[in-house]
Amino acid sequence: MSLIAHGLVGRSDLPIPEWLFGWGAAMVLVVSFVALALLWPQPKLQREHWRALPGGLGRALASRAVELICGALGVFLLGMVIWSGLRGTQSPTANFAPTFIYVIFWLGLVAVSVLFGDVFRAFNPWRAVGWACAWLARTVSRAELPKPLDYPRQLGNWPAVAGIFAFAVMELVVSDGDEPHNLAVATMVYSAATFIAMALYGVEAWIERGEAFSVYFNLFSRLSPFETRDHVVGLRRPLSGLAALKPVAGTVALLAVVIGSVTFDGAAEGPLWTGIAPDIVNFFDDLGLSTQRAFEVTFLVGLTATILLIHGFYRLGTIGARSVGGGFSALQLARAFVHTLVPIALAYVAAHYFTLLLFQGQAFWALISDPLGNGSDLFGTADRQVDYAVIGANATWYWQVGFVVGGHVLALTLAHDRALALYEDTKLAVRSQYWMLAVMVGFTSLALWLLSQANG
Amino acid sequence: MSFFAHAGHWLTSVAYFIPVLVFLIWLGVTQLRERRRRRPRGRGD
Repeated sequence: MSLIAHGLVGRSDLPIPEWLFGWGAAMVLVVSFVALALLWPQPKLQREHWRALPGGLGRALASRAVELICGALGVFLLGMVIWSGLRGTQSPTANFAPTFIYVIFWLGLVAVSVLFGDVFRAFNPWRAVGWACAWLARTVSRAELPKPLDYPRQLGNWPAVAGIFAFAVMELVVSDGDEPHNLAVATMVYSAATFIAMALYGVEAWIERGEAFSVYFNLFSRLSPFETRDHVVGLRRPLSGLAALKPVAGTVALLAVVIGSVTFDGAAEGPLWTGIAPDIVNFFDDLGLSTQRAFEVTFLVGLTATILLIHGFYRLGTIGARSVGGGFSALQLARAFVHTLVPIALAYVAAHYFTLLLFQGQAFWALISDPLGNGSDLFGTADRQVDYAVIGANATWYWQVGFVVGGHVLALTLAHDRALALYEDTKLAVRSQYWMLAVMVGFTSLALWLLSQANG
Repeated sequence: MSFFAHAGHWLTSVAYFIPVLVFLIWLGVTQLRERRRRRPRGRGD
């Protein structure tokens, strides 16, 4: 899967060296920064501007009936993942579970969220089961259920951070993390933990702040022009969804985990990591760990270090921004600008996993017909083949560069608008953004370097 | 020896981060000038 993931094909006829694309991207950011400073003198994204879709369409799309159907489909797919993982072939590419979890769910839903808004909320199987259980309990007992506990404020997004980190560990660290049986067991454990948490704190409170995938997809959905309010789908000003993000404890860490895990995934294929990893493995080997465990602990160290590095780099930018004045603490600035990390996370995910989604995503049609990998053909699509000629190596590179540059320009725009709203003096607002520009240039260079490492 | 033998590889990697380096130097210089501008002038000035 990893071979397909990163399109290990040489690009022989690029007009300029790959590293020069990095310089070009940095130039685009500097030019965008200057253009924003000159042409965007007032904050525009901080005000809410939402209109329902016309002709009752917004109400129909978010109606109870649609929500019920989507929820039932989500529960069906969750059941299918567990069933195929436990009962199907243990070949990761022939079983439905690995491709569905790592490609369709983890990557495909990011694209869907960015385009159509928080779609996962409707399909979320844990939310659907939670509400179904609550309805059943109310009906059977013929009484109101006891009030759930208050969600602890200091917990913020930390349970989601733990969930996404655990997912990244399963994907990048655990040596048999793509084995269908292990994925099914992990899904069951996560489901059980989610049901317990929802029973304690209430379905919506946990979904909004604690449930890892709801929080993750909701962040990306804020890039979409579509938003559902009070069971009505409407349109909002582009990017205003992100400006309206209310960061809580752990939001910065969550985005650091997302960007850091993609960074580590890219770096793990390059010579820098493959050069130092054997020494770390030997160190853990000498401590008495088996070779497999030594490898896993080494990768865990690498993943954690990369996440901390990304977090530290962002915090460095906010400490620098504090030095220009304005009376804000570095923590206040880190939270005020955290929404700018969302398009960067999107740029990293889109650029790095573009080919995985494009190629392995096609395997969904064959796998849905033969989920267990035992030769069945439920929907007549089991013989669908993956078309690897759907995109060439050079076109892939241009798309990847486009994602990276586009994501960082969006981040710069969001940061500029927030700075204008935050600082009373426009000049001070622009000066504070020198540091955010440095962060963006750093993230852009890192992203393109990682892609060159993965593709090289 | 190996360090120089593989220079082709790591120099290409370094090239990606030159814009960051240039930017950080520019930021450092800007900060220094700003600090000097804010510092109150001495008696001899």
